Amino acid sequence: MRFLKTHRFLPLLTALSLFFSNAHAQAETPRQIIAKAVLLEDKSDDQVALLKTLDASTEVASLLTLWKEGGIFLFEKPDQSKVAIILESEKDAADKQKALLLETGLPILDGEGKPLHLLASDLTAAETDSTLRETMKAVLDLSGLSSPDRKARLQAVETLAMEQDFSRIPLLQKGLQKETDPSVQHAFREAIALAQLKEDSSETKISACRILGTMGSIRSRDILQSLSKDSDGPVQRAALEALQKIALHLQKVNTFGTLFRGLSLGSVLLVAALGLAVTFGLMGVINMAHGEMIAVGAYTTYVVQCVFGAGLQVSPFGIALNLPGIKATGWFYDCYFILAIPLSFLTAAFAGILLERTVIRFLYRRPLESLLATWGVSLVVQQLFRLTFGANNVQVSSPSWLSGSWTLSDVSFGWNRVFVITFAAAIVIGVFQLLGRTPLGLLIRAVMQNRSMAACMGVRTQRVNMFTFGLGSGLAGLAGAFLSQIGNVGPSLGQSYIVDAFMTVVVGGVGSLFGTILSAVGIGMTDQVLQQVLGNPVLGKILVLAAIILFLQWKPAGLFVTRSRSLES
Amino acid sequence: MKILHTSARALLATASIAFTATAFGADTVKVGILHSLSGTMAISETSLRDVLLYTFDEINAKGGVAGKKIEPVVVDGASNWPLFAEKAKQLLEQDKCAVVFGCWTSVSRKSVLPVFEKNNGLLFYPVQYEGEEESKNVFYTAEAVNQQATPAVDYMLAKGKQKFYLLGSDYVYPQTTNLVLLEYLLSKGVPIENIGGGFKKDGSGKIISAGKYTPFGHTDYQQIVSEIKQFSAGGKACVINTLNGDTNVPFFKEYAAAGLTAESCPVVSFSISEDEFRALPAKQLVGQLGCWTYFQSIKSDANKKFVASFQDWLKTSKVDGVKKEGRVTCSPMVLSYDGVYLWKAAVEKAGSFEVDKVRAALQGGLSFEGPGGKVTSQKNMHMTKNVFIGETKADGQFKILKEYKDVVGEPWLKGTFKPKS
Amino acid sequence: MNSNNRRELTAICILAAVMLGVMPALNAWIPEGQWLHVSNFTINVWGKYLAYGILAISVDLLWGFTGLLSLGQALFFSLGGYMLGMHLMLMIGKLGQYKSELPDFMVFLGHTFLPSFWQPFRSLAFAALMVVLVPAVIGKLFGYLAFRSRIKGVYFSILTQALTYGASLMFFRNDMLMGGNNGFTDFKTILGADIRSPGTQRALYIVTGLTLIAIYLGCRWLTRTKFGLIQRAIRDSETRVLFSGYAAANYKLFVFVVSAVIAAIGGALYVPQVGIINPSEMTPDKSLEAVVWVAVGGRGTLAGPVLGAVVVNALKSWATRAIPDLWLILLGGLFLLIVLFLPGGLVSLPNKLRELRSRLGKKSPDTTPTAVPNASAS
Repeated sequence: MRFLKTHRFLPLLTALSLFFSNAHAQAETPRQIIAKAVLLEDKSDDQVALLKTLDASTEVASLLTLWKEGGIFLFEKPDQSKVAIILESEKDAADKQKALLLETGLPILDGEGKPLHLLASDLTAAETDSTLRETMKAVLDLSGLSSPDRKARLQAVETLAMEQDFSRIPLLQKGLQKETDPSVQHAFREAIALAQLKEDSSETKISACRILGTMGSIRSRDILQSLSKDSDGPVQRAALEALQKIALHLQKVNTFGTLFRGLSLGSVLLVAALGLAVTFGLMGVINMAHGEMIAVGAYTTYVVQCVFGAGLQVSPFGIALNLPGIKATGWFYDCYFILAIPLSFLTAAFAGILLERTVIRFLYRRPLESLLATWGVSLVVQQLFRLTFGANNVQVSSPSWLSGSWTLSDVSFGWNRVFVITFAAAIVIGVFQLLGRTPLGLLIRAVMQNRSMAACMGVRTQRVNMFTFGLGSGLAGLAGAFLSQIGNVGPSLGQSYIVDAFMTVVVGGVGSLFGTILSAVGIGMTDQVLQQVLGNPVLGKILVLAAIILFLQWKPAGLFVTRSRSLES
Repeated sequence: MKILHTSARALLATASIAFTATAFGADTVKVGILHSLSGTMAISETSLRDVLLYTFDEINAKGGVAGKKIEPVVVDGASNWPLFAEKAKQLLEQDKCAVVFGCWTSVSRKSVLPVFEKNNGLLFYPVQYEGEEESKNVFYTAEAVNQQATPAVDYMLAKGKQKFYLLGSDYVYPQTTNLVLLEYLLSKGVPIENIGGGFKKDGSGKIISAGKYTPFGHTDYQQIVSEIKQFSAGGKACVINTLNGDTNVPFFKEYAAAGLTAESCPVVSFSISEDEFRALPAKQLVGQLGCWTYFQSIKSDANKKFVASFQDWLKTSKVDGVKKEGRVTCSPMVLSYDGVYLWKAAVEKAGSFEVDKVRAALQGGLSFEGPGGKVTSQKNMHMTKNVFIGETKADGQFKILKEYKDVVGEPWLKGTFKPKS
Repeated sequence: MNSNNRRELTAICILAAVMLGVMPALNAWIPEGQWLHVSNFTINVWGKYLAYGILAISVDLLWGFTGLLSLGQALFFSLGGYMLGMHLMLMIGKLGQYKSELPDFMVFLGHTFLPSFWQPFRSLAFAALMVVLVPAVIGKLFGYLAFRSRIKGVYFSILTQALTYGASLMFFRNDMLMGGNNGFTDFKTILGADIRSPGTQRALYIVTGLTLIAIYLGCRWLTRTKFGLIQRAIRDSETRVLFSGYAAANYKLFVFVVSAVIAAIGGALYVPQVGIINPSEMTPDKSLEAVVWVAVGGRGTLAGPVLGAVVVNALKSWATRAIPDLWLILLGGLFLLIVLFLPGGLVSLPNKLRELRSRLGKKSPDTTPTAVPNASAS
């Protein structure tokens, strides 16, 4: 930013000239300039100066992006001099890629005249620092104004808006005329109004204030605030009016945002609690190791991710295990998550069945003791995680189609959150279908309602118990796969959800899946609304707990009571 | 069956420990390691146990301390603060350890402090902390607030940032650091309305808490991130992050998902080192800032040697629970390492393992050329060291942007900065 | 019954004499280094175990005798600790880090005067009264609400869990003026004596032991009265008790309050011996831990829970030093095995062994019934 201000003229001129005439003769090609800049390595001031001479073009944009993301490498030639190279995307059998000279884009030849192939992991990537990246961003933004990509245009306009440079108004207006996308148009108008605030005429200022106010421009809040302080008379009044309007808009944004966030938190709770609603709600087993089942799912996701990437080496109890990786890249790598979802269900279900066979089946008559035994299991499993995967949390990255967000009138909807909501809905529908429409569901319901009667009718209750517990655990595993996208994956992952999960099931009414859904969404909403109103997450959480205690006074058996003829349950 | 197997292993392990204890003789000196190997803090503290064991092996291979081999006594504090006090007593009263290396959280340090004072023991404490304490029984190799937070803010101010959002976990280190930073920012002429996160005032209108706080283990940062998004919409804003290691993951995942980047609003964090960074989506966080007195990427021979031999040690280590793969080094680890060598130097200078003499030697000012550069012990039981500002790279390492040489550790900072009027 | 009674009392007397007479004597008069010497450390950790034993009795009174599995006992335990802790904090005086009359954490947060609710805690008697009163009032209030709306079974457990969790979050907040996350620590004196000196620690140990015995005998008496009979009847079939014309809710409320007070007394004795109290002591899983001690020792026996508390904690003390990486596996495995194979807890072990021996003597075929999930919900 600082640089742009002090040397504003030069890049602006070059940029403008580019904007109007694409044919621009230069002594050095952009590739050569970038290559030169790369070789300057740690002298970031000189690099910045060089980059500022660049004209924006798609080629420049792609090269700078490549540099930023670590795709340009420094290659030491036999004579010890360094050159900047890039690698072709195609990999050979040994994972090597063809090296191209950055300056020319031509392959580098080895001693025998054949193109050189190199391993990316052997090379040092050219680094960037924040000043450099800011300069890159400025260059990219100017080129972005004419980019065919909507997102790039939007970002470019937004950056220009913050510079509040009224000499750019004609440029912006021209852009606005050509623009067809409504959100970018909106950004153009905002940028123009913001720049107009810097003009001398107070009429222009007032009209700009009005425009910003009507738009509800959150971006301009700070600027309007300082304007209202520095000015007087009608301008001040206009600024204050605009601020008021923006405040109203903000209120609206926050209300809708809170609703969405509440829904998404509710879905997280639901996903975490649904498995419990089966094992605890239907079967009556108090499974304190439910959290660890979630962790099993999350670790499965991690393992699948590693297999798609560079592989995984672990050595629990001194036994070295080596899982080779397939080193996928791009969209194929992103697919790991699609495979991880069913696998995390299966591994957790398997772990659940194992737990049921070895421990739980002896404790159906002693539900409170199942609590103690499974607590012991949970301690053991946590420590096993630590010994296998290390005590640290592990890294699970989101596939690219789950990162990012969609913004509608300043309310942003994160893709991962939208995904969690959709997925929660899908799981719920799946479970209802399974229980209500399939023969297995019929058996499960029969056994859960009256075990001995079902046994008399020839149902193999042992087996049904096993499958039901497996189903509940599998659902927990699914939860783990999703929670890995928004939170920690570590040995104590389960511990952070277990209390909330039990609370959700109990508030909904033990035995009622529908109750669990309602209570999850209810608790999520209450939590987010309280957080928004109080501005304090801790206080919000305490009030939610208090609300739950009071709620259970009113409805001692939760939202939906499972009716039973038995006197005592 | 697994359980039977492990308990058998456990018994064997005990037997072997008992055996090694007798195998050593009078030419060893017992040194305690008091970290959480289970519970919530194990994610951070286990690495410190590993690096300490490595350092002891390194020293023992070169003849030990004053001719005596170090015999480590590892105990698990289990993230349970009263248990920390019990274990500290055990190490000092039962095992008669000459020195103890340990603790991560402030509360664990506070919990063992009375034990060390009563038994006149010596604790080396390696993790960045809030200051406001100076015990003659603790040597703080840790970063004081002026060796981490204020240099980072200086850097952000120099970068032209004008708005600061304070965010932290609700405990004493973030609370104190943010109060100090508030005073510091005001003294630098930043207007109070440009400091985000909210304030709490007491009856007389005096600010007693600045910034936004979340409980330990908080998992939902949607609300806070959307607040930051609005706060930073006008540009020139940054976030000062004192969240505890674990909660950083959901925070940063949410931050990235909301479309905030290091270019639009950088986050400077004080609790994320290379070790914690392994759990974060590094690619989405390129350019976020960290401030420590050591980074693994330091290009010095001492550091290269340290990193390489630590990795070698990991590969051959036979200790249970030492993860061998994908390990990194970070500031708390190096400060533990520096601490052991400073203690060694002090013992050798004092010619004795007695705490009073060792302390006198430490207070006299000893230097050690560590992986992060030269460190020197101070009279106030803190350590002079270099401070680095770094930004994260896609590979989880930090690129060093700025270095402040020989910063003196100053534990008492509150009330020392006067607002600019 | 009578001879059993006498045998039990004799056993208690002998145990008390050894634990509270011989052990402290060996600690005080046998010099360090001799093999008969009992170290200060041993006295101190045993003091802690005995305080945990008191907590275990309070859990057993509720769970073992009345069938109420409360996950809120850690809250009452900590509340007792906090009340005494407030007194101890004020007794530090100017010996703290800041050399101020105020507790360190208040100076730290910028407070300039002592809040009014702290003032009376200068008196130990007042603090002792609060140790009993505060948990009793909270227990009464919460219990009244819970039992009035006939919350029971797992709902009661989850409700008490929510209470504990909410309270711990509240105490974490610095605004509570209860020390926030760090809680209270760095105590210096109690009744004018140096709290860390071996003599004081020994005295605290003996006081804890005597209190434990008193509480044990009190509960033993209570559970053997008609009241205790109704208590057990509620555990086994509350509806039948109701139909017989007893106000079960009142009985439950009384037991809940009594056990809250017992837990709080345990907490108050615990804090001066470990030297710290903070909110992580009142989290739900600490309550669960106490429940596990009871299960390990033997539910519904009073002696069992004390045994369980001592055994589990002694094992933990030993294992966190001897096998720091594997102790959780050992402990978790132990819980699992006891719940599965020794439902009566450790106290039932002699009987079990005797049974096994007689069966082996007769060489009868193995008649252990294979567990079959039972349909009856009750």
